[in-house]
Amino acid sequence: MAELSEFGFRPGLSFLHRLDARFKLLFLLLLSLSILRAEFRGLVFFTALFLFCILRIRISLISLIKEMRYFLLLLFFVFAARALTVPGEKIFQYWQISLSRQGILEGCLVCWRLFAVVLLGLCFISTSRPSEIRGAAEYMLRPVPLIPEKRVGIMLSLLIRFIPLILNQAKETAEAQRARGIEQRKNPVYRLMKFSIPFLRRIFEEADGLVTAMEARCYSENRTPPEYKAGKEEWIFLLLAGFVCAMVLFIS
Amino acid sequence: MEIIRTENLRHRFSDGTYGIDGISISIRKGEFVIIAGANGCGKTTFLRHLNGLLMPCEGSVMVDGISVTSDPRRARQMVGMVFQDADSQIVGETVYDDVAFGPENLCLERAEVRCRVESALESVGLSSFGDRRPHLLSGGEKRRVAIAGILAMQSEIFIFDEPFSNLDYPGVCSLLEEIRRLHRRGHTILLTTHDLEKVLAHADRLIIMQQGKIVRDGLPEECVKGSDAFGVREPFASRQGMELSSWLN
Repeated sequence: MAELSEFGFRPGLSFLHRLDARFKLLFLLLLSLSILRAEFRGLVFFTALFLFCILRIRISLISLIKEMRYFLLLLFFVFAARALTVPGEKIFQYWQISLSRQGILEGCLVCWRLFAVVLLGLCFISTSRPSEIRGAAEYMLRPVPLIPEKRVGIMLSLLIRFIPLILNQAKETAEAQRARGIEQRKNPVYRLMKFSIPFLRRIFEEADGLVTAMEARCYSENRTPPEYKAGKEEWIFLLLAGFVCAMVLFIS
Repeated sequence: MEIIRTENLRHRFSDGTYGIDGISISIRKGEFVIIAGANGCGKTTFLRHLNGLLMPCEGSVMVDGISVTSDPRRARQMVGMVFQDADSQIVGETVYDDVAFGPENLCLERAEVRCRVESALESVGLSSFGDRRPHLLSGGEKRRVAIAGILAMQSEIFIFDEPFSNLDYPGVCSLLEEIRRLHRRGHTILLTTHDLEKVLAHADRLIIMQQGKIVRDGLPEECVKGSDAFGVREPFASRQGMELSSWLN
């Protein structure tokens, strides 16, 4: 996990870096909804826009594609499922399997939409500090009844912090098991049990240590509130984004 | 001037055994104290009473004249702790966020938080690390981040629980230099270890524990003689009757 570096905050001074995270979260919602309704022309516009942003943030496209390889594989399965199941004008048939023109077009559309949403998410994550995202999430959850937004915020931040550690822990446990010949045992239930018990025990022990460490640093829910910096720029950009989304949906 | 005082401190675990048993000590402001002992002798249990992470079953702990039991929050602000496992201590998603965690818990103004974090990171030589993700740092860097987190809370007392474990030689030297610097600045240092070789030359006082009790307490060069009997290896220089030497020389 340590090498998974493209999907994380990258310091910078770009326009996106300067924007208030609450507005960026709003753009993320707005643009995602528009993307999920956009047709090919709209998707061309969005993809070009996001690729431009990604290049401005200086993310290497090659390493990005490498890190997205499993997601791209998933998209391939989504495409295949659509292409093979949507009825329409057949362009290829072998035994019971047939590909339709409509299926291929629909598969492309769905995959492109999902890909565009991921690119948008990458633009958001790369230009927002995790603490800003936490602050934005806390702000958005504030009006929602029965949800302790500060607690959700701290849980979100701990999750972001501890995912790499949990994955490292899983890797270490798996390696330790392999070193003791677990691969000789073919029963997957046995292997899963032998993996999950020590893994979960270590995770809970670490969680216990974390609680102690947080207490040692005076943790309470009453903390310095997150910093927000919304100005004229953010409102103009919000109007612009709303207008662009409406236009894209209109031309699609 | 006395900064920590414990009186007949006892802590009993849920299985009925005593983690610490009748510890009474006084620590002066600015003192560098090493607490040594074999694994399970009660070092960590004792330290956790000093900032209210554990509460005594019997006896009392006073930090700067105020009981820890009556005001644990103040004790935690005054007594900063660097844990043995730096990975579970670092809670921030970035180095900056982690150092800011303590000051934010103290509800300081945002500008004050920023000022303290920048100053703390500069003190430990990590000014350019603010946006780095903690899990990508080396063991020594992680401990320096933990120290910066305590500096940002402006704690007077630093507690290091086995700080040199899992560190390579450069990591140990760098951390030792950092601890010396904190001591020179007037901070009170309490450090637990079972490996005295690395740090004893810098200490003002050595306390050796065994089975939850203090069995030796005094000047390092005197107390360390025959420490093997308590599960703590006597440094080579001391065995040879030579002066204790620093790893930093």
